[in-house]
Amino acid sequence: MGLLRKIRDTGRVAEPAPPRPEGHVPPQAKEFGGSVQVRCVDAGSCNGCEIEIAGAFNPVYDAERYGARLVASPRHADVALVTGPVTRNMAEPLRRTVAAMPEPRLVVAVGDCAINCGEFAGGHGVEGAVSDVVPVDLQVPGCPPRPDEIVAALRRVTGR
Amino acid sequence: MSLIPAALATATGLGVAGAAAGLVLPQRVRGAVVGVLTAGVGVAGGASGVAALGGSRWSAEVPGLLPLAGTHFAVDALSGLFMAVAGAVVAAVAVYGAGYVAGGAHGLGSRGAQAVLPLFALSLLLVPAAASVSTFLLLWELMALTSLLLVPAEHRARPAVREAAVWYAVMTHLGLVLLLVGFMVYAAQAGGETFAALRSGSGAMSPAVRGLVFVLTAVAFSSKAGLVPLHAWLPRAHPEAPSAVSALMSAAMVNLGVYGLVRVGFDLLGGGPAWWWLLAMAMGGLSAVYGILQAAMASDLKRLLAYSTSENMGLVVLGVGAAGLFDHAGNKALAGLALAAALLHVVNHSAFKALLFCAAGSVLRATGERNLDLLGGLRARMPLTTGLFALGALGAVALPPGNGFISEWLLLQSMIHGLAVPGVTTAIVLPVAVAVIALSSGLAAAVFVKALGVGFFARPRAEGAAAARESPLLMLAGMGLLAALCAALALVPGLLGDGLDRAVEAAGRPGTRPVSGGGLQVRLDEVSAVFSPLWVVATLTVTLGAVTATVRWAGRRRQRRTRARLWDCGGGAPTPRMAYTATSFAEPLQRVFDDVLAPEQDVDVTPMRESAYLVERVKFRNRVPDRIEHRLYRPVLDFLAAAGQSARRLAGGSVHAYLGYGFFGLVTLLVVLVVGW
Repeated sequence: MGLLRKIRDTGRVAEPAPPRPEGHVPPQAKEFGGSVQVRCVDAGSCNGCEIEIAGAFNPVYDAERYGARLVASPRHADVALVTGPVTRNMAEPLRRTVAAMPEPRLVVAVGDCAINCGEFAGGHGVEGAVSDVVPVDLQVPGCPPRPDEIVAALRRVTGR
Repeated sequence: MSLIPAALATATGLGVAGAAAGLVLPQRVRGAVVGVLTAGVGVAGGASGVAALGGSRWSAEVPGLLPLAGTHFAVDALSGLFMAVAGAVVAAVAVYGAGYVAGGAHGLGSRGAQAVLPLFALSLLLVPAAASVSTFLLLWELMALTSLLLVPAEHRARPAVREAAVWYAVMTHLGLVLLLVGFMVYAAQAGGETFAALRSGSGAMSPAVRGLVFVLTAVAFSSKAGLVPLHAWLPRAHPEAPSAVSALMSAAMVNLGVYGLVRVGFDLLGGGPAWWWLLAMAMGGLSAVYGILQAAMASDLKRLLAYSTSENMGLVVLGVGAAGLFDHAGNKALAGLALAAALLHVVNHSAFKALLFCAAGSVLRATGERNLDLLGGLRARMPLTTGLFALGALGAVALPPGNGFISEWLLLQSMIHGLAVPGVTTAIVLPVAVAVIALSSGLAAAVFVKALGVGFFARPRAEGAAAARESPLLMLAGMGLLAALCAALALVPGLLGDGLDRAVEAAGRPGTRPVSGGGLQVRLDEVSAVFSPLWVVATLTVTLGAVTATVRWAGRRRQRRTRARLWDCGGGAPTPRMAYTATSFAEPLQRVFDDVLAPEQDVDVTPMRESAYLVERVKFRNRVPDRIEHRLYRPVLDFLAAAGQSARRLAGGSVHAYLGYGFFGLVTLLVVLVVGW
C-alpha cells in the first residue's frame, strides 16, 4: 500500500516536453522510425557524463517518452552513446562494440572529452577523441552536458 | 528341438576354447582370436535364446558333471528372452572389444583378462538356462567371479580401480550369501533342489517361509540389478571396468537380477501377497528417481551411465512389482501386460546401454578422459561415435522416436489402467508410480542432453578432447550392430513377435500380445490403446523436415549479408574455459533437489598478506556425495572397522592363547550340543 500511496502522492514529476530541437539530423535517423535503442559505452570517462545520462533517463527528463531506450547489448542497439576520451585499453573494445551493432547505426559522442579529449588531452593513457577511433555522427558538447541537452540530441535521432 | 542343446554346447565349447586361446596365444593375435570366439559364444547362445523365444523348450540333466547334485538345465521362453538379449550384446561387444584391445598388452588386452572374458560371456548365457539351485548358484558365482576379475583389468593405469573391485567383491558376495540362504531354506522346505521340485513344493509352504524366501532372494537379486540401496558397487565398478566389460555388465549382467526376481517370484513361488510386490515397487521407484538424480549430478560420463542403469532397472522392477500386485488382485491380463512392459524394457535398456557404454569407451580411448567437464568438441573429431552415442541417448531419454519410449509407454499404460484393480493400496501406489516414471524420464532427458551436449558438442575444453581421433573400424562395427538393434527395436518392436508373450507365459501369466500386431503396431486389447512406432517416426520426420524447410525459406535474405565477429563484450575471444560445463548444466537441478542430494560446497578465500581486501586465491569445491550410501554404509563400515580394531587385542601373538581359544571353542561347542540338543 505504501508504494501505491507514494505513487498517488507524488503524481507526475516529468517536466513538460520542450519544443522539438533544431539542428542537423543524421540521414540514418529516418530509418529508425521513431524508436531508438541506445547502448552506452564508457570509453574512459570521469563518470560525470554517466551521471547526466542517467539523469536524462530518469522520471524528470524521461528520454523514453521520445522513443529512446537503453539496452544491454550492442547487438540490440541502434545508437552508441560514447563518453570520455578513448583510453588505450578501451579503443579496441569501442571499435568492436560499434562493429557489433547492426546497420543502420549512429555514434553519439557525449561530453567535451568524447569530442576533443577535454581535460585529458595528451594524457599518457589517452588514445584520442571518439572520432579518432570510430566515425561520429552527433556531438553533445558540455562538461558534463546537461540532461536536457542529451535528451535534445536523442530527440533529433528519434524525430519526436 | 535339437537346436537349443546344440547351440548351448557350441557356446560352451567356444567359451572354453576362447579362454584357452586367451591364455596361450601371443599378444599379436590374442585380441582378434578371443574376439571371434567370444562373438561366437554370443551368436550361439543368442541363437538358442531365439529358438526358445520361438516356442522350443529343452531340459536336460547331466548327472556326472557336479558331485552329489548333478546339473540341471532347462530353457523356456523366459530364459530364452534373457539369453537372446545377452547373446546379442555379447556378440556385438566382442566385436567392439577386439578393436578396443588391439595394440594394447595391458588392461583388457592382457593374458588374464582375455582368458576370463569368454568365460564371463558364457556364464551370462548359461545362468538363465540353469534349472536347479546348485547349478544356478554355481553359474551365478562363475559370473560374479569372472566379472570380478575383469573389473580391475586396468589397475596399472588407474589405481582407483582396486577400491572399486573391493566394493564389487564384497557386495556381490553379500548378495550370494543371501541368495544361498534363501535357496537353502526354499529347497529344504520344498523337498528338492531342482526348479521343478521348488515349483511343485512352493504351494505347501507356510506364508512366513515363502515370504522369507522371497525377501532373501529379492534382496540378493536387487543387489545384482543395482537397485537402491544396494547399488553402491554399481557406480564404482561400471566406470572403472574396461568399457567393453562395463557394457557387458550394464547391459547383460544386471538383467539377470531381474531374471532371478521374475523366475523366483512368479514362476517358482507362483506369485505372492501384496506386500512382496509393494516392497519390489518401493525399491524400484526409489532406484528410478534416485538413480537418475545422481546421474544428473554426475560429471563422469561412465558414472552417469552407471547411475542411469540403476534408474532403468528401477523402472523394470517397478513394472515387475506392479505385475505381481495385479496378479495378486486377480487381474491376470493386466499382470501379463505389466510384466511384458518390464521385460521389453529390459531388452530396450540392454540395446541402448550397451551402445552408450561402448561409445563412452571410444571417447575414453580417444581422449583419455571420462570427465564431461574436460570433453567437448567431439562432434567434429569423432562424428560416427557422436552419432552412435546420440542414437543410444535417444533411446535412454524415453522420448519418441527412441526405443526406450515404447517400453516406458507400455509401463505407463499398465500403471494407468491398473486403477481398474480395486483397493486403497492400488489407488495410492499406482498414481505415485506413474509420477515416478514421469519424473525419471523427465530427468533422463536432462541427463542425456547434458551428456551429449556438453560432452560432444561445442569446443574442446582440454587437450585430450582436442586431440581425439575417430575409433578403429572394429569398434565402430560393434557399435553399429548395437545401433541397428536399437533402431530395429524403436521402429518395429513387433520383431520380437510372440517371443515376448511366450516369455510372459513362461512366467505363468497370460500373454497380452502387446507388440505382435503385424510387427508395426503396439496394441493393447485389454485397455484398448494402440500406437504405431513407425508412423510416429514417419510423422516426426516429415514434420521436422517441413518445419526446417519453412524456416529456411522464410528466413532467406534478400539483402546483402555482413560477417561480424562474435560479440564477446568487447574483451578477448571467449576461451573454452568459459564454456558451459556439465557441472554448470546440472547446477539448477542441484538447487531444485538440494534437500534430497545434500551437496557439499566449500569456498576457501585466501587474502593477500598486505590487506584483507585483496584476494590472492579463491578455492571453490562442489561435491554431490551419494547420500544413501553415505548414511547407510558408512556406519556399518565404521562399526566393522572398530570391531576389528578391538578384536586385535585377542590376537596378541601368544601361541598359548591361540591354543586356548581352540580348546575353549571346542568345549563350548560340545557343551552346547550336549545340553542344547
